[in-house]
Amino acid sequence: MQGNFTYLVIAVCILLALGFAWQEYRRVNKRNLLLRVLAVLLAAASLACIALPIKYTGSVTKTGEHNAILLTDGFNTDSVNADSNILTTDAAIKKAYPKARLINGLDELSQTDKLHIYGYGLNDDELAQLDSLPIMFHPANPAAGVSHINWNGRIKAGEALHVQGIYNNTSAQKVKLVLRGLNTGLDSVTLPPNTRTNFDLKTTPKTTGKVVFTLHADTSLQGSIPLEITPVKPLKVLMLSASPDFESKFLKNWLTENGYAVALRAAISKGKFNSEYINIVQLSLDKLSSQTFEKFDVLIGDLSVLNALSPAETGALKQEVADKGLGLIVRADSTGKASWLQKQFPVDKPSGREPAPAALIINSKNSVSKLNYGLAHIIYQNGTQPLVKTAQGRVLVNSAISGSGKIVFTALGNTFSWTLSGNKQDYSAFWSVLVTRAARKDGEVQNSIGFLSLPYVNEPAQLNIASAKTSSLLINRQTTASAQNPNVPFEYSAAYWPATVGWQNVEQNGMQNSWYAYAKNDWAAVQATGRISATKKYADVHKITDIVTKQIQQKVRIDVPKIYFYILLLAACTFLWVETKFS
Amino acid sequence: MAEQGGLYKIQSLRRRWIVYHVLEDVLLSVYAGLYVGALIYYLLSPTLLWGIITFPLVLAIMLAMNRPWQMSGEKIAAFLNSEYPELQESSQLLLIPAEDLNPLQIIASSKTADVLADLKVSHKPFAKRLVVAFISLIVATGLIWALGRIFHIERIFYGPNRPVAVCAPATMPEKVLPQISGVAVTITPPAYTGRPERTQDKFNLSAEEGAAVTWHIKTNIAIKKVLLIFNDKEQLQLKNNNKHTEWYVSKNITNPGFYQVSIDGKLSDLYYVQVVKDTAPVIRIKSPKQYTYIDAGEAPKVTIGAVLNDDYGIANATIMATVAKGRGEGVKFKEYKLSFPQGFDTRKPLYDVQKLINLPTLNMEPGDELYFYVQAQDTRKQLSRTDVYTVSIQDTAELLSMNGMLAGVNVKPEFFRSERQIIIDAEQLLKDKDSISVEKFNARSNDLGIDQKLLRLRYGKFLGEEGEDAIGAPGNEPADPADFSNAKKILKEYTDDHDNAEDAGFFEPAVKAQLKATLTEMWKAELQLRLYKPQAALPFAYKALRLLKDLQQKSRSYVAKTAYQPTPLKMEKRLSGELDKIIQPVNRQDIKPPADQLDALKKAVNVLEALKINPALSAADSRTLQLANQQLSLRAAAQPGAYLPALNAMRRILSAPKVNTRDINVVESALQKTLTTLKKMPSSGEGPADMGLSKQYYKNLKQANR
Repeated sequence: MQGNFTYLVIAVCILLALGFAWQEYRRVNKRNLLLRVLAVLLAAASLACIALPIKYTGSVTKTGEHNAILLTDGFNTDSVNADSNILTTDAAIKKAYPKARLINGLDELSQTDKLHIYGYGLNDDELAQLDSLPIMFHPANPAAGVSHINWNGRIKAGEALHVQGIYNNTSAQKVKLVLRGLNTGLDSVTLPPNTRTNFDLKTTPKTTGKVVFTLHADTSLQGSIPLEITPVKPLKVLMLSASPDFESKFLKNWLTENGYAVALRAAISKGKFNSEYINIVQLSLDKLSSQTFEKFDVLIGDLSVLNALSPAETGALKQEVADKGLGLIVRADSTGKASWLQKQFPVDKPSGREPAPAALIINSKNSVSKLNYGLAHIIYQNGTQPLVKTAQGRVLVNSAISGSGKIVFTALGNTFSWTLSGNKQDYSAFWSVLVTRAARKDGEVQNSIGFLSLPYVNEPAQLNIASAKTSSLLINRQTTASAQNPNVPFEYSAAYWPATVGWQNVEQNGMQNSWYAYAKNDWAAVQATGRISATKKYADVHKITDIVTKQIQQKVRIDVPKIYFYILLLAACTFLWVETKFS
Repeated sequence: MAEQGGLYKIQSLRRRWIVYHVLEDVLLSVYAGLYVGALIYYLLSPTLLWGIITFPLVLAIMLAMNRPWQMSGEKIAAFLNSEYPELQESSQLLLIPAEDLNPLQIIASSKTADVLADLKVSHKPFAKRLVVAFISLIVATGLIWALGRIFHIERIFYGPNRPVAVCAPATMPEKVLPQISGVAVTITPPAYTGRPERTQDKFNLSAEEGAAVTWHIKTNIAIKKVLLIFNDKEQLQLKNNNKHTEWYVSKNITNPGFYQVSIDGKLSDLYYVQVVKDTAPVIRIKSPKQYTYIDAGEAPKVTIGAVLNDDYGIANATIMATVAKGRGEGVKFKEYKLSFPQGFDTRKPLYDVQKLINLPTLNMEPGDELYFYVQAQDTRKQLSRTDVYTVSIQDTAELLSMNGMLAGVNVKPEFFRSERQIIIDAEQLLKDKDSISVEKFNARSNDLGIDQKLLRLRYGKFLGEEGEDAIGAPGNEPADPADFSNAKKILKEYTDDHDNAEDAGFFEPAVKAQLKATLTEMWKAELQLRLYKPQAALPFAYKALRLLKDLQQKSRSYVAKTAYQPTPLKMEKRLSGELDKIIQPVNRQDIKPPADQLDALKKAVNVLEALKINPALSAADSRTLQLANQQLSLRAAAQPGAYLPALNAMRRILSAPKVNTRDINVVESALQKTLTTLKKMPSSGEGPADMGLSKQYYKNLKQANR
């Protein structure tokens, strides 16, 4: 039948061609006769070619038979060679691309000698299962969404939460990124279309404890932001004042009304002191010794008082600061004597008119109201870190490391005027920065938990724990084996397989700690980026060694595309039609 | 028949003309109605009534003016004649009855009728104005739409008095207990509002402060007891008819909050009670300014104009005035209570009142001061008052006194006396006005003007101004023959030597400016005097005098007394006193930080966050939420609109066996709204968990550096 059909078609087309050619020949107007006859023949031939399957023999280069393709999330259908042995471990991919064969685990791939991976690739854990099988990685385009993210997950009450990252916007629309917490939009940013943009969102949480904020792009959830807000522990402050003055009085009031312990010694005459002990047991402050200093986290003193300390007292103070980490806040006054305290903080006081009150820059944040800061300022020296500056860049408060402690030097003596004018905000911002910077490190060492990649539920998580003491590790009340790092003795690593989404409890040395296991769909684009880079790294190490792949030349019969014949037919018919119009 | 056809054609043209003109009038009146309506809608009141009224009015006026139906056939014929030459100027013949035509006319008319029958008269000349009217109407519609939508004209023009929608909480669908078949809540606003009572079929209610609210609840079955529970505390039992199916109770609403209906112990949803508070009247004083200074010579009168505004009605308003007389220790005060001439009987919410105060009627004299404020009372007896405004009259006695001039350095006293003299003379002249003839009065006024001029010229010399009659004035005296062809003298006549150092005083620029200002005032005074208006000249003369006095004061110098010189200190004696008797003050106390009011809410946030992950409520968590629930209910009582949904959701969380995430979200957003930002307080950093390794490094480094 097939052969008959061919002849039938050829016969009909020849008849058609002859008939039409005769018609053209008989036409009275003999213009373009040859061309017309040619067009008729061409049209008939194309018609025949459209009806008949036309094939030619060509040679095709084919790669080795043992190649396998592993499809992972994000692969592009067009880039996959359909003839190969296509595999996947994901049921969702199998559904979307039925040619792929579903396999149970990556260990089934060990027989293949060359593996091509399409899509976002595999994560570290899965790559380990490949057992150094050489691979060729064909990464997909980076996924749309938040591709990199970081935030300060453990903050103190009153500190701001900063969420920073990169958003990959592949759409042609602007995207509004919203940080949400307690079902309220806390901060947002609008990102331009078709670019990768860095973003920085910030908010100050209003509560303490463990909360989970979320990041949304328009309305779609990008991921959860778990954070732990710890309440502030009050510090113990010793204040030495050359005379009873407003600055120390207001500072004392502010600290004590917030529960801080303050011992204040103010000289009222030669060798006579006024002492105050608030929220602290009474102790003798006439003679200062290392026993006294030990009891406090921060010492705030006038420069003249600290300079006038006896050699024994100075020695004790020096040692306490350098070895034990006591914080020292020095308030500059008119004493010009160069002492160990002032070595790094030379004060300049040019003569001239006092500058007008202006807003100060406290730890790179502008103060709300203005302060009359006077002429005196600290000359910047290398090795110091300015804390408070004027808008012109003059340093008013500077800090430096001294051994394991810190020295903060302030040239401001009238910050109480902020409180007097009712501006609690700037006052507490100022002194919080100063005292926090100086304060002695917390004696109670908190174990820190780190991860190589974000821990997800139902995936093994690799915990890196820094711990001062060796003791058994309990995760969710289960004893977990941990391995000590042979080079860094205080680092331990442990593997855990979280079964539920949410906070996971860690107990070590009787200290409670926690980390968060993310849901499977959290930070999808971050996961994709992580997989791509992990697989790339793996592929770089485990390259397919014989770069010249075996190529087999194979003779194949290939169909000629019909579209050419359609075009020819159309062209011939068009010529005939146009020709009649012009004749 | 042909003539009939022609006549018919003309008639139809006439009808067409009339129809087009009537249509045009309609379009134009729609146009007018649209504009008037839109302007009133945007600027005055949001009703379309005015536009609707304007349209028929304008239409009637335009039809009456144009009278399109009066169009005659002759005019149409004339129009046709002029437009179409083929009619041969005879179309009007068709209008004449055939009997009246002479034979020639009959021939002409029949010919014309034939032509006319075939003639296609275009619509263009008829419809031209109609098209214009139509296009302008479309443009106007677009413009008005744009005004409202794009430019928001109402935002520019609306004053604060625009009626705005009351910001009530979004209407929540009410859930009513199944036993209730009907509810009628009658709200009787208190008398001060002057509003009628109203009835609603919803439990959520918003009432004026002090309103009496009556609930009528119908139940579909007989029940034993119905209670209304206000803010979780106050219980109100409903009375019933004898069948136990209709219940009613009344209550005066003074505080906002929420309530529940309890039927036989079954509680309903929470319903809010909003209270619309009566605000105190608002007074805005339009005139005078906060400090008003009446110069000598000005009329001692003040007009107090104020706008009084209240949400329900103004009951009364008064001016409380105090007059201060005298100076130094001899100041005497006298109080007056003045009322506005307009009455407040109608108790309207808005009054624009004015009161003219003639200061001498309050016994005010030059140098006295008037302090006043306006006080208004609304229908609910709420008082409000304005700031104190001050009106003072210039003290002329002080200005005219010779104090200081006699005692101080004598700086050209005769000049100053002159200005003073002019004032005194002018005042004397005004006093004498009734007793002297007009000519004499005018002559004396003119003389004063001349005095003023001379004075001005003399002062002008200080500024280097030349006299008005200095340059080129022809001298009356015969020239000295010796000066003949004296070039210097001729040159002097015709040149301007004003930069002469002897003429121009060396004054500071500020003094010069003040002198100039003085001269200007003198000019003005002179002008009024020359116009025989000494009364009008007085303010300028006083001003000039005051400026001169200031100048005189400035020219004085002041030397302070020499300072006290203490005896020098003996440094060796300083701080050498015996202090052993002095005890050192020691103060010890414990100050506990104030308990955190929001602690319960903060804990609740943690519980809710945990519930989101694991929606099962433990007993301890339930207690935490109960505490937060109490806090929330306190807040809901104060602001039911904002917190009631959260309170409802919280109760659902507490009662339901499985917690709904939507409820958690509602409560969390309310908590976020309630919680205040945490204070930034100093804290210590965390030490590293490094087994003291870094300390060891530091020690070794220090030793190595030694």
